[in-house]
Amino acid sequence: MVFIRIKAMINAGRQICIGNREAFCLTAQGLMSDSLCRNLYKGSIMDEPSAFSDYSHEQLVILVARNKDRHAFHHLFDYFAPRIKSYLLNFNMSDQKAEDLTQEVMITLWQKADKFDPQKARISTWLFRVARNKYIDKVRQQKYPEVNADDHIASMIAPEKTDQNLKEQQDQGRIKMAMAALNDEQRKVIELSFFKELSHSQIAAETNLPLGTVKSRIRMAFQALREELGDYR
Amino acid sequence: MKTHGIIPDEWIVSYASGALSEAHALVVATHCHFHPALQQKLIDAENIGALLMESRPPVKVSSHMFDDIISKIDDLPNEVKQPSNDNGLPFPLAEYLNHKSLDQLNWRMMGPGLSQVRLWTGPNDERLWLLKAKGGAKIPSHDHSGLELTLVLQGSYHVGKDQYGPGLLEIADDETKNHTPLIDAGEDCICLVVTEAPIKIHSLLGRLAQPFIGL
Repeated sequence: MVFIRIKAMINAGRQICIGNREAFCLTAQGLMSDSLCRNLYKGSIMDEPSAFSDYSHEQLVILVARNKDRHAFHHLFDYFAPRIKSYLLNFNMSDQKAEDLTQEVMITLWQKADKFDPQKARISTWLFRVARNKYIDKVRQQKYPEVNADDHIASMIAPEKTDQNLKEQQDQGRIKMAMAALNDEQRKVIELSFFKELSHSQIAAETNLPLGTVKSRIRMAFQALREELGDYR
Repeated sequence: MKTHGIIPDEWIVSYASGALSEAHALVVATHCHFHPALQQKLIDAENIGALLMESRPPVKVSSHMFDDIISKIDDLPNEVKQPSNDNGLPFPLAEYLNHKSLDQLNWRMMGPGLSQVRLWTGPNDERLWLLKAKGGAKIPSHDHSGLELTLVLQGSYHVGKDQYGPGLLEIADDETKNHTPLIDAGEDCICLVVTEAPIKIHSLLGRLAQPFIGL
């Protein structure tokens, strides 16, 4: 019964979404879950920024990809730009440099949003990777080869389709709890890795620890974080 | 704890965090290309990085940044996707070589049955190479000062009783003495190698030849 009602709503959406919206709706129907399609259909009527607070980040990226929707893009910008800049500022760079790189990351999102597949990746992970690689490219002036092309990110697992916003808040809580559950020594090596981009031998020098100890601490910390965040994919 | 020929987790974390050099990142990414389980670990590690980024205290961005971005994206040309050709190589390496095939590279003879292409030289004498050895060749016995990563792309070799075939990675460091890889008979063995410092070859002839072959 519920299923029939949702189907009816999608059909209604398809009838309303004619002209330049049609391809998007058809794509949405093909690509996305019923509930997501219904939400996007709702969004196409309520074309105002406040409507976007109900959407997950992944859904907003789809709106950017399909419709070049600037309200959706602004919403993503408001959330991610201050966090990407905060991440970049860890690497001893000027405020201006961090601004410039953040801007480049957000422009990459606009340009490549259509390469992003919400079934396979989370947008925050995709943006993290872009920010990391931009920093390495522009500041360290090295390449950072990736395992896959960004348009076929293989083997990633789909995020849950329900209660996306709630889930995002929970994920934030979970990484904080998972980090808090590490002992001080393990947390330190993870922070030096991710927030300072230090190599194993640099961490050993920084902490006055033997290299082997640094490696085993990173391994144990990673193992513990993976267990805590096991179904976070 | 150690799995033969598979990179340990601390390297996956360092790759995900951005802590590796260009050469090490290429070797790790190419190695992961062969192993879906490593790709999943890498995604887990990058998810951790993303969650850590998201949980940073948000900082103020300039009030005009969004408008600057909008004015820039209005002028952006449409991206033209280059047709990519991987030449049968793993994606990260194919991309790194600008989609040239191995035959199109500038191979230099190093000695009988041994040739190399140097791809990159980084800080601290770090060097990225492709090495090609004829089946049955013996690499001169040597010690290491610094870390050496060797990823097999084609063919295989032995060190002692350990065999390294396509997709497997050998890590050698200061403690690896008398390192004498023996190339298995058959097809040429091609490896992607990162060295940190010149290796120390034992034989007199090898030491005499070393400056010329550039190892």
